[in-house]
Amino acid sequence: MDDLTEMLKGTLEGCVLQIIGAEETYGYAITRRLGELGFGDVVEGTVYTILLRLERNGLVQITKRPSESGPPRKFYTLNDAGRARLATFWAKWEYVSTRIDKLREGVR
Amino acid sequence: MSIHDIIEGKKQWRAHVARVKALPPDYRIVYQEMQRYLFKVGPVALTDGTLLPGIVDFFEEGAASGKGVLELIGEDVAAFADGLIKDTPTYAEAYQEAVGGAGD
Amino acid sequence: MNFWEKITGSDLSRDWKAFEARAEALPPEYRAAWGQIVSHAFPHGNFTGRNLTPILDSALSLLEETAADGLSVREVLGDDIPGFTAALAGGEGARTYRDRWREQLNRNVARKLSRLEG
Repeated sequence: MDDLTEMLKGTLEGCVLQIIGAEETYGYAITRRLGELGFGDVVEGTVYTILLRLERNGLVQITKRPSESGPPRKFYTLNDAGRARLATFWAKWEYVSTRIDKLREGVR
Repeated sequence: MSIHDIIEGKKQWRAHVARVKALPPDYRIVYQEMQRYLFKVGPVALTDGTLLPGIVDFFEEGAASGKGVLELIGEDVAAFADGLIKDTPTYAEAYQEAVGGAGD
Repeated sequence: MNFWEKITGSDLSRDWKAFEARAEALPPEYRAAWGQIVSHAFPHGNFTGRNLTPILDSALSLLEETAADGLSVREVLGDDIPGFTAALAGGEGARTYRDRWREQLNRNVARKLSRLEG
């Protein structure tokens, strides 16, 4: 689907948290995972800016590991604050999506 | 406090500049234009010493994987640059607050 | 009393001496622009050098980097240095300038990348 950028804006951080929460991973792998999900126009740069903010806000733990090709890679896992943020994201998602579904079904 | 000194002294800044010079031309162009933009906008994160080297790390990785720079960060370079500093205030904001002037 | 005298003897003078030394090393055109930026950064004589130091450092770094690239001052700052300086300090028009800088960034990248291919 094209041009999801605007709609994804508020949820992309939650998606990235969820992917990191599932297993330790790195930037390119996260972008690839989003691509497999169908969010193909999310570029690595966008994921990089999200990871940078997660780091700045102390939500992730980072380990640098050598890579087969070129410079060492940063691997990310969630810390307690990151897991709390992820739980909050799903709670908010639940809240918004149930209400939007109701609206669509015409429930009053 | 100097941005150059922040990257722990002139030596490290020179090493940083050398890494920028070693990037492929398209990456180098985008890095330099972004740096120019960031110096004007003046985000506080500029002086924590990790923002600019972090961009170079990321660009080196992208170049090593054989991608072009716009393929890596998207066509809208300014949006990428803004994304890097989204949650940090700018010096101008800090200054406006200190002098008690309205920011806008 | 000029600006430089005003700050002499303050605990900021060390920063400012370093600025002066860095400005000395700039090409004349850039040095002149720096002088203008400094004089416009203190519009109301309301002395808050400590807060302005990082803003001016970032402007000086910009001048240093672009002088090294051999660009003209006009190409980097535009014609309106007072406006540019006010925007740097977050004053009036800061938002308009930020939009302009954003456009400038994308335009410069597009132009230079297309030159690369050509």
